[in-house]
Amino acid sequence: MTTCDDIEADKRNERPSLARLVLFFVMQGVAVILVGFAALFLSFESVWSAERLSANYLKPGDARSGSLLIKNEEGYADASRLGVDVDLTVSGPTVRARITQIFRNPSKDWVEAVYVYPLPAGGAVDSLKMVIGDRVVVGDIKERQQAKAIYEQAKQSGQKAALTEQERPNIFTNSVANIGPGETVLVQIEYQEPVQQSGDTFSLRVPMVVAPRYNPAPVVQSVDFKPDGGGWGAIKSDPVPDRDRISPEVLDPATNAPVNPTRITVRLQAGFPLGEIKSHHHAIKTEKPDANTSILRLAEGPVPADRDFELTWKPLAETAPSVGLFRERVGDSDYLLAFVTPPSVEQAQQKPLPREVIFVIDNSGSMGGVSIVQAKASLIYALGRLQPNDRFNVIRFDHTMDMLFPSAVPADSEHIGRATSFVGALQANGGTELVPAMRAALSDKAGPTNYVRQVVFLTDGAIGNEQQLFETIDALRGRSRVFMVGIGSAPNTYLMTRAAELGRGTFTHIGSVEQVEERMRGLFAKLENPMVTNLVAKFSDASADMTPAAIPDVYRDEPLVLAARLDKLAGSVEIKGRIGDRPWMVTLPLADAAEGKGLSKLWARRKIADAEVARTTRQATPEDADKAILALALEHQLVTRLTSLVAVDKTPSRPQGEPLKVSELPINLPAGWDFEKVFGERPRAPATPMERRADTEETRVQIAALKRAQPVATAAPSTVTLPRTATDAELKMIAGVILLTFSLIVLVFNRRQMSLR
Amino acid sequence: MTAQQPMRFILPLRLALIGLILFGQGAYIHAKALLAQVLLERAFEETVATGRETKPWSWADTWPVARIEVKRLGARAIVLAGSSGQALAFGPGHVEQTPDAGERGVAVYSAHRDRHFAFLKNVIVGDEIEVTRRDGRTFRYRVDTTSVVRFDASGIDPLAGGHELVLSTCWPFDALTQGPERYLVHATMLGPVSDTH
Repeated sequence: MTTCDDIEADKRNERPSLARLVLFFVMQGVAVILVGFAALFLSFESVWSAERLSANYLKPGDARSGSLLIKNEEGYADASRLGVDVDLTVSGPTVRARITQIFRNPSKDWVEAVYVYPLPAGGAVDSLKMVIGDRVVVGDIKERQQAKAIYEQAKQSGQKAALTEQERPNIFTNSVANIGPGETVLVQIEYQEPVQQSGDTFSLRVPMVVAPRYNPAPVVQSVDFKPDGGGWGAIKSDPVPDRDRISPEVLDPATNAPVNPTRITVRLQAGFPLGEIKSHHHAIKTEKPDANTSILRLAEGPVPADRDFELTWKPLAETAPSVGLFRERVGDSDYLLAFVTPPSVEQAQQKPLPREVIFVIDNSGSMGGVSIVQAKASLIYALGRLQPNDRFNVIRFDHTMDMLFPSAVPADSEHIGRATSFVGALQANGGTELVPAMRAALSDKAGPTNYVRQVVFLTDGAIGNEQQLFETIDALRGRSRVFMVGIGSAPNTYLMTRAAELGRGTFTHIGSVEQVEERMRGLFAKLENPMVTNLVAKFSDASADMTPAAIPDVYRDEPLVLAARLDKLAGSVEIKGRIGDRPWMVTLPLADAAEGKGLSKLWARRKIADAEVARTTRQATPEDADKAILALALEHQLVTRLTSLVAVDKTPSRPQGEPLKVSELPINLPAGWDFEKVFGERPRAPATPMERRADTEETRVQIAALKRAQPVATAAPSTVTLPRTATDAELKMIAGVILLTFSLIVLVFNRRQMSLR
Repeated sequence: MTAQQPMRFILPLRLALIGLILFGQGAYIHAKALLAQVLLERAFEETVATGRETKPWSWADTWPVARIEVKRLGARAIVLAGSSGQALAFGPGHVEQTPDAGERGVAVYSAHRDRHFAFLKNVIVGDEIEVTRRDGRTFRYRVDTTSVVRFDASGIDPLAGGHELVLSTCWPFDALTQGPERYLVHATMLGPVSDTH
């Protein structure tokens, strides 16, 4: 009977729990609906903000990236095409370059073409010619605003015009107005540049593409206190005020064929029998029409302008000439250019001073691709070269920064090992905030004073705020010396050379992984060997205006390069200095100088660079510096920050009433760069939707939309990316029901156990 | 009742709470879509009447741009500007950078497979789709083909010649997880409908 009772009891227990279960479900249903609707109104805020990410990819050039797409009625085939022909003549110490840009307008509109291109930082641009059909229009040098006004005037009145402006000493812009439908216009500029020498190797490089620059945002204002300002300073608003002018549209190599085909010819007359000739990044073929001349051409025809052209040559003789002296007479002045390579003196008797080396490595997005590989290999090589009694530290930076050790540590195997694995793990990503990294590297926490302090800075220098960096180096340099190592296929040579000059160090360029070891060995020879110090040059008879005014220290295997303007070519020049602890002197009789070409321009260009440096270092007031630059530029017909070349065709060609459209020509991404690392993700949906009716309200709305959402202009879209159209609503509801059911079972089970007890 | 008893309830109650939240979230997605369409319908009527963009609720950052109707199935939905996740929660989206219905090119509308475009699985070739724009004009399209493509390889050129319409949703229809495949309904315009309402 007890069993029966038990069953009875159980049954009685079950009935109310069943009712409770039903009630529970009803309550649950009500709760779900309540929660659902409450959430509908409560969680809107967070739901809205979930996908607002696209604004992060805005870049300064954005505003114009859409403009190329609407400028012609044809569709996406963009307005103008460009070909480039580079013709270089090396005669002894100088390079004369003629760059011909071919603007072709395949569209049915009148077009103004704007092309941003690089030149060597030391190049003196002095000639602009515009060729239309069989007419040649020669440009004049004018003050920058005046030149711009002349150009605008011609543009308005329908005349063909060309304008060459300097944006940076190594970035120029050519604008060509009124290119008719189907028409081709040639624009030719010429520049003069000294040949580079290092040890027994002579070299020249032609930059081909302006690498996309990281332009720090003007969010944080910096305050500029004058030393004698009595506490009053000015707020500098934007570190890169001309960001728009140096950020041309860059084509994504994944979706576009390379543009701007370039032909290169070099006529090499070195002035001595040639040994090895090597082009580092392009295949070349060589002709020898006579004993002293070699003509080099690209082996495979035109190449896309996406990497620098670098050519080196060596003399046939074992050792290179260690002295070169050239002269030119222009007007009533003589100009002199001297190259002197001091002898290498081995320091046998005394050990070199121990060094404190601060390595700085740029792991920003612009270093993505092969650049970061080169940088890491270079740095790991450098770490291996340190001596046990040296001290070192490693700083890495993108838009953030890390210092490996709180301060410099001895270069023992444990520290080197840690540094090597730190460097090995670096990934290229983020922005390029060079200035804080430089500041950290230069902050000298008064280590042992008998150490030689060297900063080795590995970067591509792809920034737009060069001036800030120069100011930092100049202000904080102290006893440190800054050695710039330029990485990648198109480093910013202006930044590198000027930073090395201000930091009293050198600039080493590494353009490919194969060059890492050779170039780093060269750099270490400079770091480890004594330099030539206390250099002075004295002219015996002539009075000379010399540049550089104060001769910097010269490192191992580097020549001392002097340019001077003399009142008469007589007597000699005597150069004195110290190599390590030994005195050194050389005397060059001026009468033996060989005839050179374009030396006056080189001298003027160096003087202008000196004035710009003086302006940076506040040795001269901006007004004085500008006045000096303007005078030199106008006298020697050079394009500078303050002067431009302008050419105007006298006969108008565009009929009245025909509209003129601007075409900003896109450039390639430098070879080896990673598009997504620089510009963020590729835009998912391609540009512009509507049929393009120029200037209607709707088009304008579309462009506004483009500016907002599209980080980089891409050409013709071919397909639409479809949005995600599945929700996890069902999944969640099913999971919810399963969980609820499970918990109910557990609840019921628990109750049962309790009542059984 | 011993002291242990509350402990025995904690686990099932917690599970119940999590289950409730999950279920609530799922239900919320559907509730949102359901409620929003009512508000959107009202806003769209007003848009057509006034000719101005009318937001369905004051804090919305999207607005109705068109109404899609398949009369044979009795299905209709109000289309929102843009195809961001937020917009799609409330209704079909007009995919950015594709033309409006009635314009030359391919107009692409996209919506959730389990909600506004659930009816697409019943759409067959030959069905007529009517799209009313915010200016009140209605265009009639006829379904030519259906296809399944990957989201990033739709093969749709929004600027192609002709007047076409594509409705897109996730594929397969009864899947529970999100996948890369999309189901497309292609239609070609027959012409504008004179009688607007």
